[in-house]
Amino acid sequence: MDFAQAIIEATSDVFNTMVMLEAAPGMQATEKTTAFNDAISGILGFSGDIKGMLRINCPNQVAMAITGSLLGMEVEEIDDDVRDAIGEIANMIAGGLKIYFTRHNHIIELSIPTAIGGQSYTVHSLANAEWVAVPFTLAAGVMVVELQFVGLK
Amino acid sequence: MGKKVLIIDDSSTMRKIVTRSLRQAGLDFDTILEAGDGQEALQLLAKESVDIILSDINMPNMDGIEFLRQKSANAAIKSIPVVMITTEAGADILAEAKSLGAKGSIKKPFTPEQVSEVLGGLM
Amino acid sequence: MSWETHIADATVEIFSTMLMMEVSSQPPLTERIKSHQDSVTGMVGMAGLYKGMLAIHAPSQVAMTITGNFLGLEVDSVNDDVKDAMGELANMLAGSIKAKLSDNSKDIQLSIPSAVCGDSYSLDYQPQQGSSMVPFESAGGRFLVELQLEQQT
Repeated sequence: MDFAQAIIEATSDVFNTMVMLEAAPGMQATEKTTAFNDAISGILGFSGDIKGMLRINCPNQVAMAITGSLLGMEVEEIDDDVRDAIGEIANMIAGGLKIYFTRHNHIIELSIPTAIGGQSYTVHSLANAEWVAVPFTLAAGVMVVELQFVGLK
Repeated sequence: MGKKVLIIDDSSTMRKIVTRSLRQAGLDFDTILEAGDGQEALQLLAKESVDIILSDINMPNMDGIEFLRQKSANAAIKSIPVVMITTEAGADILAEAKSLGAKGSIKKPFTPEQVSEVLGGLM
Repeated sequence: MSWETHIADATVEIFSTMLMMEVSSQPPLTERIKSHQDSVTGMVGMAGLYKGMLAIHAPSQVAMTITGNFLGLEVDSVNDDVKDAMGELANMLAGSIKAKLSDNSKDIQLSIPSAVCGDSYSLDYQPQQGSSMVPFESAGGRFLVELQLEQQT
Protein backbone atom coordinates (compact mmCIF):
# COMPACT_ATOMS: atom_id res chain seq x y z
CA MET A 1 0.00 0.00 0.00
CA ASP A 2 1.27 3.46 -0.89
CA PHE A 3 0.88 5.59 2.22
CA ALA A 4 2.12 8.79 0.57
CA GLN A 5 -0.48 8.29 -2.14
CA ALA A 6 -3.14 7.73 0.54
CA ILE A 7 -2.16 11.04 2.19
CA ILE A 8 -2.20 12.89 -1.13
CA GLU A 9 -5.60 11.50 -2.19
CA ALA A 10 -7.27 12.12 1.17
CA THR A 11 -5.81 15.61 1.62
CA SER A 12 -6.51 16.72 -1.95
CA ASP A 13 -10.09 15.51 -1.65
CA VAL A 14 -10.65 17.64 1.46
CA PHE A 15 -8.94 20.70 -0.03
CA ASN A 16 -10.73 20.44 -3.38
CA THR A 17 -14.18 19.96 -1.93
CA MET A 18 -14.34 21.71 1.44
CA VAL A 19 -11.47 24.15 1.74
CA MET A 20 -11.29 25.28 -1.86
CA LEU A 21 -7.67 26.35 -1.64
CA GLU A 22 -4.93 25.00 -3.81
CA ALA A 23 -2.63 22.68 -1.84
CA ALA A 24 0.08 21.27 -4.09
CA PRO A 25 1.64 18.05 -2.81
CA GLY A 26 5.44 17.94 -2.80
CA MET A 27 7.97 15.14 -2.56
CA GLN A 28 7.62 12.79 0.39
CA ALA A 29 9.63 14.24 3.29
CA THR A 30 12.83 12.49 4.28
CA GLU A 31 13.49 14.24 7.56
CA LYS A 32 11.15 14.58 10.50
CA THR A 33 10.26 18.00 11.77
CA THR A 34 9.26 17.74 15.39
CA ALA A 35 9.66 21.28 16.75
CA PHE A 36 7.12 23.93 15.87
CA ASN A 37 6.85 27.65 16.58
CA ASP A 38 3.62 29.64 16.25
CA ALA A 39 1.87 26.70 14.68
CA ILE A 40 -1.13 24.39 15.05
CA SER A 41 -1.16 20.63 14.69
CA GLY A 42 -4.36 18.65 14.23
CA ILE A 43 -3.88 15.16 15.64
CA LEU A 44 -6.09 12.10 15.38
CA GLY A 45 -5.40 8.51 16.42
CA PHE A 46 -6.66 5.41 14.65
CA SER A 47 -6.68 1.72 15.34
CA GLY A 48 -7.68 -1.62 13.83
CA ASP A 49 -5.66 -3.43 11.16
CA ILE A 50 -3.25 -0.50 11.26
CA LYS A 51 -2.65 1.51 14.44
CA GLY A 52 -1.33 4.98 14.20
CA MET A 53 -1.61 8.74 14.42
CA LEU A 54 -2.36 11.26 11.75
CA ARG A 55 -0.92 14.73 12.25
CA ILE A 56 -1.29 17.83 10.15
CA ASN A 57 1.12 20.62 10.99
CA CYS A 58 0.27 24.17 9.95
CA PRO A 59 2.13 27.41 10.64
CA ASN A 60 -0.38 29.91 12.09
CA GLN A 61 -0.70 31.81 8.77
CA VAL A 62 -1.56 28.60 6.94
CA ALA A 63 -4.06 27.62 9.64
CA MET A 64 -5.74 31.02 9.39
CA ALA A 65 -5.88 30.86 5.57
CA ILE A 66 -7.45 27.39 5.69
CA THR A 67 -9.98 28.45 8.31
CA GLY A 68 -10.87 31.63 6.44
CA SER A 69 -11.58 29.71 3.27
CA LEU A 70 -13.35 26.87 5.07
CA LEU A 71 -15.65 29.22 6.96
CA GLY A 72 -15.91 31.89 4.28
CA MET A 73 -14.85 34.68 6.59
CA GLU A 74 -11.86 36.82 7.46
CA VAL A 75 -9.65 35.23 10.10
CA GLU A 76 -7.03 37.46 11.70
CA GLU A 77 -6.06 35.62 14.84
CA ILE A 78 -5.78 32.12 16.22
CA ASP A 79 -9.11 31.60 17.93
CA ASP A 80 -11.43 28.69 18.67
CA ASP A 81 -12.64 28.68 15.05
CA VAL A 82 -9.09 28.06 13.81
CA ARG A 83 -8.44 25.31 16.35
CA ASP A 84 -11.78 23.62 15.59
CA ALA A 85 -11.23 23.96 11.86
CA ILE A 86 -7.78 22.35 11.97
CA GLY A 87 -9.20 19.52 14.10
CA GLU A 88 -12.00 19.10 11.59
CA ILE A 89 -9.54 19.04 8.66
CA ALA A 90 -7.59 16.27 10.44
CA ASN A 91 -10.88 14.44 10.99
CA MET A 92 -11.86 14.64 7.34
CA ILE A 93 -8.41 13.64 6.04
CA ALA A 94 -8.52 10.66 8.42
CA GLY A 95 -11.96 9.79 7.01
CA GLY A 96 -10.41 9.77 3.54
CA LEU A 97 -7.52 7.59 4.71
CA LYS A 98 -10.03 5.16 6.20
CA ILE A 99 -11.69 4.84 2.80
CA TYR A 100 -8.33 4.35 1.06
CA PHE A 101 -7.29 1.67 3.57
CA THR A 102 -10.65 -0.09 3.29
CA ARG A 103 -10.15 -0.22 -0.47
CA HIS A 104 -6.92 -2.08 0.28
CA ASN A 105 -8.67 -4.42 2.71
CA HIS A 106 -7.41 -2.80 5.91
CA ILE A 107 -10.12 -1.74 8.33
CA ILE A 108 -9.42 1.11 10.76
CA GLU A 109 -11.47 3.01 13.33
CA LEU A 110 -10.87 6.67 14.11
CA SER A 111 -10.49 8.49 17.43
CA ILE A 112 -11.45 12.14 17.87
CA PRO A 113 -9.35 15.08 16.68
CA THR A 114 -7.23 17.22 18.98
CA ALA A 115 -5.76 20.56 17.98
CA ILE A 116 -2.42 21.38 19.56
CA GLY A 117 -1.14 24.89 19.18
CA GLY A 118 1.34 27.25 20.68
CA GLN A 119 4.39 29.42 20.47
CA SER A 120 6.77 26.59 20.97
CA TYR A 121 6.09 22.89 21.16
CA THR A 122 7.60 19.58 20.11
CA VAL A 123 5.75 16.48 19.01
CA HIS A 124 7.02 12.97 19.52
CA SER A 125 5.88 9.52 18.47
CA LEU A 126 6.99 5.97 19.11
CA ALA A 127 10.52 5.46 17.85
CA ASN A 128 9.67 2.17 16.16
CA ALA A 129 6.63 3.43 14.29
CA GLU A 130 6.82 3.83 10.55
CA TRP A 131 6.63 7.37 9.33
CA VAL A 132 5.40 8.94 6.09
CA ALA A 133 5.01 12.70 5.58
CA VAL A 134 3.97 14.77 2.59
CA PRO A 135 4.29 18.57 2.44
CA PHE A 136 1.58 20.59 0.72
CA THR A 137 2.31 24.08 -0.55
CA LEU A 138 -0.43 26.66 -0.18
CA ALA A 139 -0.25 30.34 -1.02
CA ALA A 140 0.09 31.07 2.71
CA GLY A 141 2.86 28.55 3.36
CA VAL A 142 3.56 24.86 3.77
CA MET A 143 1.38 22.36 5.62
CA VAL A 144 2.76 18.89 6.38
CA VAL A 145 0.51 15.86 6.65
CA GLU A 146 2.16 13.02 8.56
CA LEU A 147 1.22 9.44 9.29
CA GLN A 148 2.86 7.30 11.93
CA PHE A 149 1.78 3.72 12.21
CA VAL A 150 2.56 0.19 13.28
CA GLY A 151 0.96 -3.14 12.63
CA LEU A 152 0.96 -3.48 8.88
CA LYS A 153 3.03 -6.37 7.66
CA MET B 1 -37.84 32.69 -1.20
CA GLY B 2 -38.06 33.25 2.50
CA LYS B 3 -37.00 29.77 3.43
CA LYS B 4 -35.64 28.81 6.83
CA VAL B 5 -33.03 26.15 7.59
CA LEU B 6 -31.95 24.70 10.93
CA ILE B 7 -28.37 23.42 11.34
CA ILE B 8 -27.79 21.05 14.26
CA ASP B 9 -24.16 20.38 15.17
CA ASP B 10 -22.24 20.49 18.44
CA SER B 11 -19.31 22.27 16.81
CA SER B 12 -19.98 25.95 16.17
CA THR B 13 -17.18 25.86 13.61
CA MET B 14 -18.92 23.07 11.73
CA ARG B 15 -22.15 25.10 11.78
CA LYS B 16 -20.23 27.97 10.20
CA ILE B 17 -18.78 25.64 7.56
CA VAL B 18 -22.25 24.36 6.68
CA THR B 19 -23.57 27.93 6.55
CA ARG B 20 -20.77 28.92 4.17
CA SER B 21 -21.51 25.87 1.96
CA LEU B 22 -25.22 26.71 1.81
CA ARG B 23 -24.36 30.23 0.75
CA GLN B 24 -21.92 29.01 -1.92
CA ALA B 25 -24.41 26.42 -3.09
CA GLY B 26 -26.64 29.36 -3.96
CA LEU B 27 -29.42 28.05 -1.74
CA ASP B 28 -31.61 30.96 -0.93
CA PHE B 29 -32.31 30.78 2.78
CA ASP B 30 -33.65 33.87 4.47
CA THR B 31 -32.91 32.60 7.91
CA ILE B 32 -30.34 30.14 9.18
CA LEU B 33 -31.05 28.86 12.68
CA GLU B 34 -28.53 26.88 14.71
CA ALA B 35 -28.75 24.35 17.53
CA GLY B 36 -25.94 22.62 19.44
CA ASP B 37 -27.72 19.29 19.93
CA GLY B 38 -31.02 17.49 19.36
CA GLN B 39 -32.59 18.78 22.54
CA GLU B 40 -31.83 22.39 21.71
CA ALA B 41 -33.22 21.76 18.23
CA LEU B 42 -36.52 20.39 19.59
CA GLN B 43 -36.88 23.40 21.90
CA LEU B 44 -36.25 25.71 18.97
CA LEU B 45 -38.71 23.85 16.74
CA ALA B 46 -41.41 24.29 19.38
CA LYS B 47 -41.44 28.02 18.63
CA GLU B 48 -39.94 28.40 15.15
CA SER B 49 -41.05 26.80 11.93
CA VAL B 50 -38.35 25.78 9.45
CA ASP B 51 -38.36 24.33 5.94
CA ILE B 52 -35.46 21.95 6.22
CA ILE B 53 -33.07 20.59 8.86
CA LEU B 54 -29.41 19.60 8.51
CA SER B 55 -28.21 17.47 11.42
CA ASP B 56 -24.97 15.96 12.69
CA ILE B 57 -25.24 12.45 14.17
CA ASN B 58 -22.80 12.32 17.11
CA MET B 59 -23.73 15.04 19.57
CA PRO B 60 -23.93 15.43 23.35
CA ASN B 61 -27.23 15.38 25.31
CA MET B 62 -29.31 14.23 22.37
CA ASP B 63 -27.74 12.78 19.26
CA GLY B 64 -29.05 12.98 15.70
CA ILE B 65 -30.74 9.57 15.79
CA GLU B 66 -32.66 10.29 18.99
CA PHE B 67 -33.58 13.70 17.58
CA LEU B 68 -35.07 11.97 14.52
CA ARG B 69 -36.98 9.57 16.76
CA GLN B 70 -38.52 12.34 18.85
CA LYS B 71 -39.21 14.50 15.85
CA SER B 72 -41.05 11.70 14.03
CA ALA B 73 -43.24 11.22 17.11
CA ASN B 74 -44.25 14.88 17.11
CA ALA B 75 -47.03 15.57 14.59
CA ALA B 76 -46.28 19.31 14.47
CA ILE B 77 -42.74 18.86 13.11
CA LYS B 78 -42.88 15.34 11.72
CA SER B 79 -42.98 16.41 8.08
CA ILE B 80 -39.96 18.76 8.06
CA PRO B 81 -37.29 17.06 5.92
CA VAL B 82 -34.00 16.22 7.67
CA VAL B 83 -30.65 15.61 5.99
CA MET B 84 -27.87 14.01 8.05
CA ILE B 85 -24.28 15.24 7.86
CA THR B 86 -21.71 12.55 8.68
CA THR B 87 -17.99 11.90 8.58
CA GLU B 88 -17.87 8.15 8.75
CA ALA B 89 -21.26 6.85 9.85
CA GLY B 90 -21.71 3.25 8.78
CA ALA B 91 -24.46 1.98 6.53
CA ASP B 92 -26.33 0.66 9.58
CA ILE B 93 -26.57 4.11 11.18
CA LEU B 94 -27.63 5.71 7.92
CA ALA B 95 -30.27 2.99 7.43
CA GLU B 96 -31.57 3.67 10.94
CA ALA B 97 -31.68 7.40 10.19
CA LYS B 98 -33.60 6.67 7.01
CA SER B 99 -36.07 4.41 8.80
CA LEU B 100 -36.67 7.29 11.23
CA GLY B 101 -37.51 9.61 8.37
CA ALA B 102 -34.20 11.18 7.31
CA LYS B 103 -34.49 12.24 3.68
CA GLY B 104 -30.84 12.01 2.79
CA SER B 105 -27.26 12.33 3.95
CA ILE B 106 -24.20 14.36 3.09
CA LYS B 107 -20.76 12.94 3.78
CA LYS B 108 -17.87 15.17 4.75
CA PRO B 109 -15.93 16.42 2.89
CA PHE B 110 -18.63 17.83 0.67
CA THR B 111 -18.76 20.44 -2.10
CA PRO B 112 -21.41 23.17 -2.26
CA GLU B 113 -22.67 21.34 -5.38
CA GLN B 114 -23.26 18.16 -3.37
CA VAL B 115 -25.13 20.16 -0.74
CA SER B 116 -27.20 21.78 -3.43
CA GLU B 117 -27.92 18.43 -5.07
CA VAL B 118 -29.17 16.77 -1.87
CA LEU B 119 -31.10 19.78 -0.61
CA GLY B 120 -32.38 20.98 -3.96
CA GLY B 121 -34.67 18.03 -4.41
CA LEU B 122 -36.20 18.53 -0.98
CA MET B 123 -37.19 22.16 -1.22
CA MET C 1 -19.56 11.41 35.15
CA SER C 2 -18.56 7.98 36.47
CA TRP C 3 -15.62 8.04 34.04
CA GLU C 4 -13.87 10.16 36.63
CA THR C 5 -13.90 7.21 39.01
CA HIS C 6 -12.40 5.06 36.27
CA ILE C 7 -9.69 7.67 35.69
CA ALA C 8 -8.91 7.87 39.40
CA ASP C 9 -8.84 4.08 39.88
CA ALA C 10 -6.74 3.42 36.79
CA THR C 11 -4.22 6.14 37.63
CA VAL C 12 -3.77 5.19 41.28
CA GLU C 13 -3.38 1.54 40.31
CA ILE C 14 -0.88 2.08 37.51
CA PHE C 15 1.24 4.50 39.50
CA SER C 16 1.38 2.18 42.50
CA THR C 17 2.15 -0.98 40.51
CA MET C 18 4.35 0.28 37.69
CA LEU C 19 6.00 3.32 39.21
CA MET C 20 5.86 2.56 42.91
CA MET C 21 4.45 6.04 43.43
CA GLU C 22 1.63 6.96 45.74
CA VAL C 23 -0.74 9.33 44.00
CA SER C 24 -4.06 10.66 45.23
CA SER C 25 -6.87 11.88 43.04
CA GLN C 26 -8.35 15.32 43.65
CA PRO C 27 -11.88 16.44 42.78
CA PRO C 28 -12.34 16.64 38.99
CA LEU C 29 -11.91 20.10 37.52
CA THR C 30 -15.14 21.84 36.59
CA GLU C 31 -13.39 23.60 33.74
CA ARG C 32 -10.67 21.92 31.73
CA ILE C 33 -7.23 23.47 31.60
CA LYS C 34 -6.20 23.77 27.98
CA SER C 35 -2.95 25.68 28.15
CA HIS C 36 0.22 24.12 29.46
CA GLN C 37 3.53 25.84 30.22
CA ASP C 38 6.86 24.03 30.33
CA SER C 39 5.06 20.68 30.35
CA VAL C 40 4.91 17.26 28.76
CA THR C 41 1.69 15.65 27.53
CA GLY C 42 1.39 11.96 26.70
CA MET C 43 -1.66 11.04 24.66
CA VAL C 44 -3.36 8.14 22.92
CA GLY C 45 -6.47 7.91 20.76
CA MET C 46 -9.35 5.53 21.47
CA ALA C 47 -11.54 4.20 18.66
CA GLY C 48 -14.47 1.86 18.22
CA LEU C 49 -17.59 1.70 20.36
CA TYR C 50 -16.24 4.69 22.24
CA LYS C 51 -14.01 7.16 20.51
CA GLY C 52 -11.86 9.64 22.27
CA MET C 53 -8.47 10.69 23.51
CA LEU C 54 -6.71 10.09 26.80
CA ALA C 55 -3.99 12.51 27.85
CA ILE C 56 -1.70 12.89 30.84
CA HIS C 57 -0.26 16.36 31.37
CA ALA C 58 2.65 17.05 33.74
CA PRO C 59 4.98 20.00 34.30
CA SER C 60 8.44 19.08 32.96
CA GLN C 61 9.88 18.56 36.45
CA VAL C 62 7.04 16.20 37.42
CA ALA C 63 7.33 14.34 34.10
CA MET C 64 11.04 13.79 34.80
CA THR C 65 10.28 12.42 38.27
CA ILE C 66 7.58 10.14 36.87
CA THR C 67 9.95 8.89 34.16
CA GLY C 68 12.73 8.36 36.70
CA ASN C 69 10.45 6.10 38.71
CA PHE C 70 9.01 4.42 35.65
CA LEU C 71 12.35 3.56 34.04
CA GLY C 72 14.42 3.37 37.22
CA LEU C 73 17.03 5.87 36.14
CA GLU C 74 18.12 9.43 36.70
CA VAL C 75 16.45 11.92 34.38
CA ASP C 76 17.67 15.50 34.23
CA SER C 77 16.10 16.82 31.06
CA VAL C 78 12.97 16.30 28.95
CA ASN C 79 14.63 13.79 26.63
CA ASP C 80 13.17 11.02 24.46
CA ASP C 81 12.87 8.76 27.52
CA VAL C 82 10.50 11.25 29.14
CA LYS C 83 8.36 11.61 26.02
CA ASP C 84 8.25 7.84 25.49
CA ALA C 85 7.40 7.26 29.15
CA MET C 86 4.56 9.80 29.13
CA GLY C 87 3.20 8.31 25.89
CA GLU C 88 3.43 4.82 27.35
CA LEU C 89 1.69 5.96 30.56
CA ALA C 90 -1.16 7.37 28.47
CA ASN C 91 -1.30 4.04 26.68
CA MET C 92 -1.50 2.07 29.95
CA LEU C 93 -4.10 4.40 31.45
CA ALA C 94 -6.24 4.17 28.34
CA GLY C 95 -5.86 0.37 28.33
CA SER C 96 -7.02 0.16 31.92
CA ILE C 97 -9.95 2.57 31.41
CA LYS C 98 -10.96 0.73 28.26
CA ALA C 99 -11.21 -2.51 30.24
CA LYS C 100 -13.46 -0.75 32.77
CA LEU C 101 -15.75 0.57 30.03
CA SER C 102 -16.26 -2.69 28.19
CA ASP C 103 -15.69 -6.39 28.83
CA ASN C 104 -15.11 -7.01 25.17
CA SER C 105 -11.56 -5.84 24.44
CA LYS C 106 -12.37 -5.46 20.75
CA ASP C 107 -15.03 -2.82 21.46
CA ILE C 108 -12.47 -0.09 22.03
CA GLN C 109 -9.07 -0.04 20.42
CA LEU C 110 -6.12 2.21 21.09
CA SER C 111 -4.04 4.13 18.59
CA ILE C 112 -0.30 4.49 19.05
CA PRO C 113 0.73 6.92 21.77
CA SER C 114 2.24 10.29 21.08
CA ALA C 115 3.74 13.04 23.20
CA VAL C 116 3.85 16.80 23.04
CA CYS C 117 6.08 19.06 25.07
CA GLY C 118 7.13 22.65 25.10
CA ASP C 119 7.28 26.03 26.76
CA SER C 120 3.75 26.94 25.87
CA TYR C 121 1.09 24.97 24.05
CA SER C 122 -2.60 24.29 24.25
CA LEU C 123 -4.85 21.34 23.45
CA ASP C 124 -8.34 21.82 22.08
CA TYR C 125 -11.11 19.40 21.26
CA GLN C 126 -14.32 19.99 19.45
CA PRO C 127 -17.23 19.84 21.84
CA GLN C 128 -17.58 16.27 23.02
CA GLN C 129 -20.12 14.26 24.90
CA GLY C 130 -17.82 13.44 27.77
CA SER C 131 -14.90 15.44 29.00
CA SER C 132 -13.18 14.90 32.34
CA MET C 133 -10.00 16.27 33.83
CA VAL C 134 -8.78 14.85 37.11
CA PRO C 135 -5.81 16.31 39.02
CA PHE C 136 -3.51 14.05 41.03
CA GLU C 137 -1.08 14.88 43.81
CA SER C 138 2.13 12.95 44.24
CA ALA C 139 5.40 13.41 46.14
CA GLY C 140 6.87 14.51 42.80
CA GLY C 141 4.19 17.14 42.22
CA ARG C 142 0.83 17.60 40.59
CA PHE C 143 -0.30 16.26 37.22
CA LEU C 144 -3.55 15.96 35.25
CA VAL C 145 -5.25 13.06 33.52
CA GLU C 146 -7.78 14.00 30.89
CA LEU C 147 -10.33 11.88 29.05
CA GLN C 148 -12.41 13.03 26.11
CA LEU C 149 -14.83 10.32 25.13
CA GLU C 150 -17.94 9.92 23.05
CA GLN C 151 -20.03 6.77 22.89
CA GLN C 152 -20.96 5.87 19.35
CA THR C 153 -24.64 5.65 18.47
